[in-house]
Amino acid sequence: MLDQIDSFLRKLLAHGLVSNPAEAQLYALDDEIYTNRDTVPDEVISLFDALNISSLIIARPEPLRWAIISELLRSQADIISPSDSESLTFIHDIPVVRSFQAGRVAWALSRRKGCIVEGLGIITTGAVSLEQAFIAFSSICFATFVKYFSDVLNGLTGHAPRPSAEEIAACRGYLSSISLKAEGINLSPQTPMGEMGIISAMDAAGKAMVSAGLVDSFFGNISLKEGLLIYISQTGSSLDELQGRIDCTTMDGSSTCEITSSSELCAHVRIYELTGTRVIIHGHPRFSVIMSMMGGPLDFDQKRHVGGVPVVAGEVGAGARGLMHTLPEAMMAGHAAIVAGHGTFACSDTSFREAFERLAAVEQMCLGMYRTALKA
Amino acid sequence: MPESFSHRCLYIDLGTRDVRREQLETDISLAFLGGRGIGTYFLGMSPTLEAVDACSPLIFAAGPLTGTRIPSSGRMVISAFSPLTNTVCSCSVGGGLALQMIQAGIDIIHVTGRADRQSVILILDGTVTIEEVPMPEDLPLSAVFEGLKPPGGSVAAIGEAAFKGCLYASIMVDSSFASGRGGLGLVMASKNLRALSVRGSGRANRPVPDRKAEETSRRDILRLFDASPFIMGRSGIGTYGTPSLVDLMASRRMMPTANFRRTFFEGYRAFSGTTIREQLRPSRYACHGCPIACKQRSGGEIPEYETLSHFGALNENDDLSAIIEANHICNNAGMDTISAASTIACLAEIREERYTGGVLVDKVRLILGTDREAELLRQGSARLAVELGSPEKSMSVKSLELPAYDPRGAYGMALAYGTSTRGGCHLRAYPIAHEILRKPVATDRFSFAGKARIIKLAEDLGAVIDSIGACKFAFLGASLEEYARGFSAVTGLPHDTQALMRSGDTIYTLERYINTLRGFSRNDDLLPERFFREPGTPGPGIDIPPLAKDAYEEALDRYYRIRGCNPDGTLTDIRLKGLEICSIR
Repeated sequence: MLDQIDSFLRKLLAHGLVSNPAEAQLYALDDEIYTNRDTVPDEVISLFDALNISSLIIARPEPLRWAIISELLRSQADIISPSDSESLTFIHDIPVVRSFQAGRVAWALSRRKGCIVEGLGIITTGAVSLEQAFIAFSSICFATFVKYFSDVLNGLTGHAPRPSAEEIAACRGYLSSISLKAEGINLSPQTPMGEMGIISAMDAAGKAMVSAGLVDSFFGNISLKEGLLIYISQTGSSLDELQGRIDCTTMDGSSTCEITSSSELCAHVRIYELTGTRVIIHGHPRFSVIMSMMGGPLDFDQKRHVGGVPVVAGEVGAGARGLMHTLPEAMMAGHAAIVAGHGTFACSDTSFREAFERLAAVEQMCLGMYRTALKA
Repeated sequence: MPESFSHRCLYIDLGTRDVRREQLETDISLAFLGGRGIGTYFLGMSPTLEAVDACSPLIFAAGPLTGTRIPSSGRMVISAFSPLTNTVCSCSVGGGLALQMIQAGIDIIHVTGRADRQSVILILDGTVTIEEVPMPEDLPLSAVFEGLKPPGGSVAAIGEAAFKGCLYASIMVDSSFASGRGGLGLVMASKNLRALSVRGSGRANRPVPDRKAEETSRRDILRLFDASPFIMGRSGIGTYGTPSLVDLMASRRMMPTANFRRTFFEGYRAFSGTTIREQLRPSRYACHGCPIACKQRSGGEIPEYETLSHFGALNENDDLSAIIEANHICNNAGMDTISAASTIACLAEIREERYTGGVLVDKVRLILGTDREAELLRQGSARLAVELGSPEKSMSVKSLELPAYDPRGAYGMALAYGTSTRGGCHLRAYPIAHEILRKPVATDRFSFAGKARIIKLAEDLGAVIDSIGACKFAFLGASLEEYARGFSAVTGLPHDTQALMRSGDTIYTLERYINTLRGFSRNDDLLPERFFREPGTPGPGIDIPPLAKDAYEEALDRYYRIRGCNPDGTLTDIRLKGLEICSIR
């Protein structure tokens, strides 16, 4: 259990979700409570007593994220309603507790996977493992970031009340500290060969996407087509830990082993069929998601463009309104497209490097467009 | 409590032919929710009765979500003491019975007594009649359903296996849905009750207090179904039914083969989901109100994964037509396919024989025969193996034959087989969800770390799911978070996930307490020695060693501490669990 705690503490730090290990408390309960702290506070014991959970994270996000969350707390009531579709699907909404009282926090955590406690940070839980609490923590960080910048943008473009000059100034301040990293450029430009080479290349591409901030580690997916086979990341796999978490399935679905594969497998198959490309990566770059929502929700059959990149509607998975019905065709021309409020897909004929560069270029462009909108 | 959540009980004594209706007390309804919870409550009222005692209850219980727009919530739970295991036993079953009961204004049907002659309970809205319906005991269930099922109604019935005293006789619902495990069909036969037929017009439907919240919950759940590869993915159960598990279990080297002597069967593709689809082109159908539609038929029923694997790999049989025929015989005679297949595999190992193809089908037919071997087969593998001098060859826990997930390939599954209150059952905690299917997150399948608490919480969750009328498969996409919102919307109760989980703990703890009173303890929570001594079949990059017995026992110790049991697995201070409302001191 202590291994798990150490592993997820390192992940919180490595992903830039938390800046200081002293600001993260991780707890895992089997028949006793394990933690990274010297003692277990009474409030935490109260929470474990009140909740049927096996893990708990209490942590303050890194300063920029926390400042943004604090902005949202100023303008919101007891619940923050995310605007992006991934958050709406998986975490629905985020309860806000105005002060850390175990009873109030337990009440909030009885309803949702995590909550924000004003002046303290984010508290998340898991019933199976610490990984759930980590995912919920990461999701709340993502949802609040996207919501804050979307709300400001909607105000600037006339889709919501216009923000005050002070609010715009604050937003500019936050934006000035955001830049894209470029860890992905050391990816090989060659097409990976052989099973070991393919898995190694997928592992490297996944790590690059996470370290470049183009996806939170447990979201997004990645695949490669080799003849009639598809190598694809498993559902719920962490993109920076793909070794041992890649399924090999077939284009025609002749083995049902793929029930552990990414929920976007069907979309990947259709993209390969329509584009004839070899690799696909999918991430949730934050400004691509934000810019894709400008102008409000899309109807299922509608499309728009952000800087020439198609934006389509569609939900996660293979349902009747799934993105597999809208996205693949949009990928044909430019080999990159954004699913509104969700994330970006990019593909390549040759390498993960090329797909990565396409995904990063879209995000760079969207960040630039946001900055321009803010200046105007 | 809102009026809409008070349980409407119909008590029927077949001996006296007394029929009465009563509302359940409010605190009982709140604590036990419905379905399995209410069934367990009633079993707790007379916890030491023999399964086939005339006073022993047989309970049909719908859940509070049934009849609402909350997806995949039309399940019925049938509860009684098990003649096979002597434990508490509840079986969740699909079909239309739960909906018909709700539409007839009944949540619970509580049956006791023994009719003088073979009888049928007929319910049409507010009218209840008990009729003597003479039918040959060996009449196939297909004919029973054809004769008894009212237009638009639903029927639960037993077949020849129950009348022949088979300890794993099932109760079939609407001909296709089995309340399979534990021999509840024999309990029904002991009451001389051939069938229960219900038709409700819907005039008694409960009002839904918050339609808007119900719709929000419904949409949230459906979105999560769509996002789940296991449910709505290209190879998910929404496409192939549970046979979609065949390829995966084979690739993970945890498909029980040759009575669990191996964990991989070379001929598994003969009964895989894709093979069935190509060869039989089945159509899909669903339980009431379920968008997943995981059931399949092609002329006859397509067996579920456990049946395919056990009539296939467990018996080293790669003849799909023989598997389908064996399944058909079981369904038409009303007996549990898992126990039937496992008992035959046990016999094969003891005799150092192998029953495949037509020989296997003949063995299944033989269960209904009259000779000594037939009698042995009807007793289940545990009694058969003892009788034949090889008790170690029964692959069962508490005499319930293990299903098609080898515990050496998933350690949480191993622990859950041991702690399951109805014996070796995969569904009480279903750790396959996280150990194999990666839902809601993946766990290390070859480790006991953290599994004691995971299993305890999953057991409580399973009790909630079975009590509100939902399907366990739904929880491989959605979670209790969404279902709690739905529960609250349709009942008007301010229940959140934790309130429901507290009920789950109450129900599961009561089940374990009843088992304690029936003489069960730590030794009954152990697995067959084979799993601690013999390895499974290795595969590419996969080693399947024997389970470490000390690690298993340590996990069991942790589980007992978390569940509030004594070190010997028994429960004594029941008041600690808030069960003082049950009059079962």
